[in-house]
Amino acid sequence: MENNDFRSFLSTIEASGDLVQVDDQVDWDQELAGIGRLSCEKDGPAFLFNNVKDYSPEWRVATNPIATWRRLAVALNLSPDIPLRELYQAYAERETVMIPPRIVDDGPCKEVKIFGEEVNLFDLPVPMVHEGDGGRYLGTWDLVVSKDADSDWVNWGMYRFMIHTERILTGYPRPTSHLGKMLLDGYVPKGARMPIAIVIGADIPSHIAAAATFRISGSEAELAGGLGGRPIELVKCETSDLMVPASSEIVVEAEVYPDRIAQEGPYGEYPGYRSGEMGNSLCARVTAVTHRKDPILTLDTTGFKDSSATTTSISGAIAIKRRLEKHGVPVVDVYIPPESGVHLAVVSVKRGGAEIARNVVEILTARRALISKIIIVDADVDVFDMSAVVHAFATKCHPDRGTHIHRYEGRANALTPAYSLEERVSHSGATVAFDSTWPPDWPRETTPIRATLDSMYSPEIQKLVTERYKLLGR
Amino acid sequence: MGREYETFLRDREFVLSGRECILTLRDLSPGKMKYRGINVRAVVSSPPVPGEPILWVRSVVGLKDPDPCSVRIVEELPDTFEGRPYSDYFAALERAQG
Repeated sequence: MENNDFRSFLSTIEASGDLVQVDDQVDWDQELAGIGRLSCEKDGPAFLFNNVKDYSPEWRVATNPIATWRRLAVALNLSPDIPLRELYQAYAERETVMIPPRIVDDGPCKEVKIFGEEVNLFDLPVPMVHEGDGGRYLGTWDLVVSKDADSDWVNWGMYRFMIHTERILTGYPRPTSHLGKMLLDGYVPKGARMPIAIVIGADIPSHIAAAATFRISGSEAELAGGLGGRPIELVKCETSDLMVPASSEIVVEAEVYPDRIAQEGPYGEYPGYRSGEMGNSLCARVTAVTHRKDPILTLDTTGFKDSSATTTSISGAIAIKRRLEKHGVPVVDVYIPPESGVHLAVVSVKRGGAEIARNVVEILTARRALISKIIIVDADVDVFDMSAVVHAFATKCHPDRGTHIHRYEGRANALTPAYSLEERVSHSGATVAFDSTWPPDWPRETTPIRATLDSMYSPEIQKLVTERYKLLGR
Repeated sequence: MGREYETFLRDREFVLSGRECILTLRDLSPGKMKYRGINVRAVVSSPPVPGEPILWVRSVVGLKDPDPCSVRIVEELPDTFEGRPYSDYFAALERAQG
């Protein structure tokens, strides 16, 4: 089954046993998100809630579309059981193929149109995600479109947006994000409002592209086409020239103020914590809402192992690999475990040592520094096998010589829980590389040999043992 | 049940000192408008004054004080405050305070 829009994706994951529909009434105030949260923590299914308290049955809410590798694979029209390494390879191949979008005159997202003073964001069944959040988050699993003030560059990003009042949203795309850069460099100096479109429930490749680590001035719409293997159909917004995926469930059109703010956050975020970064956000006024006749609002119950963890992990790891290759690092593989809240990268290299480790940490913190820990391992360690990675880290990383810390100001991740409140506000932080490789100057004859089947036994014995093991029924 | 609000504070002592201050409240009235924001000039009392709406205070990470306060709304303010995007929201409240 092809996943051409969000609904066909839901049908596909229902068929693969990865979606549960809930017809009993569920409260939008924490209960609904709590079920989604628990499912993330248990690697459980996605949910489609068909009966949300206080809202008519035409409104439904779907949680955590691709919080597991299985669902991410299905979203890319791959087998849900594909090995992780092959999923990475498929993603890496597809993201090099840009397929331009196709412009259409109309689309399902235009079936209902609400303008200006008629808009009331509380008419949407926006969940209260976590107890103690600053408000109800409309933008969790979204795709936010913005355009550079001085060029044709259009950005898609996945950013959080909270309802403040009927027509006012506050949001936290980081100031170092592409949207933040567009706003601060292009619109704020001119005192101009920046149009945005918050898209909810588009086809999954579009959301993956929005969440992906992607180059400045690159077209995420083309990337989404490449990931999904077909052009994304785009339709123009009602109150701006921005283009949005035509099959989307809901589109909220708004203008970001260059000179107004309001409370945003705190919010339980993707690293798995609520870090108190409230008070450094942007504020937008909604100009229109368009949606399908029986819309499905999508929710990422943000936190430990949420939907953004799989998408940003895979695209981030591939981006890191390409960047290290570009700088001449002898990189073999890169993996970002979703469990790390996108704070840890595992990098395997053909040749390790202190110089390589320092080089890696400097390259990966040059512009934005979202990763704060990097484990560097030798090429014989499978980066996708975390037990092998932990073994290498625990045994090969010298507690003193193996630790390489790089400090920086103004570009640290404000969501990193380890930072003090002052560090989070000033974006000050550090990244550490744990060199878990053998020093290149160690003579081979005295370098320890790993006591595993693949290292400490001859190929003949390995073959014999493997066959015998199978016969033993294991 | 009387009206209840919650607010998120960085400078807890100033707000709880009984002086008039500027706050963003979240309206906790049940129903689909729950958690709507409202900017106000108000006086917060701890312990709560009988007859005033209850105010629950949370920290910047959302930790809830176990004991409620009360709030007397002096004036409702516009939905937004003057401030550059990404500038400090609490500093904007202080500026609006005058």
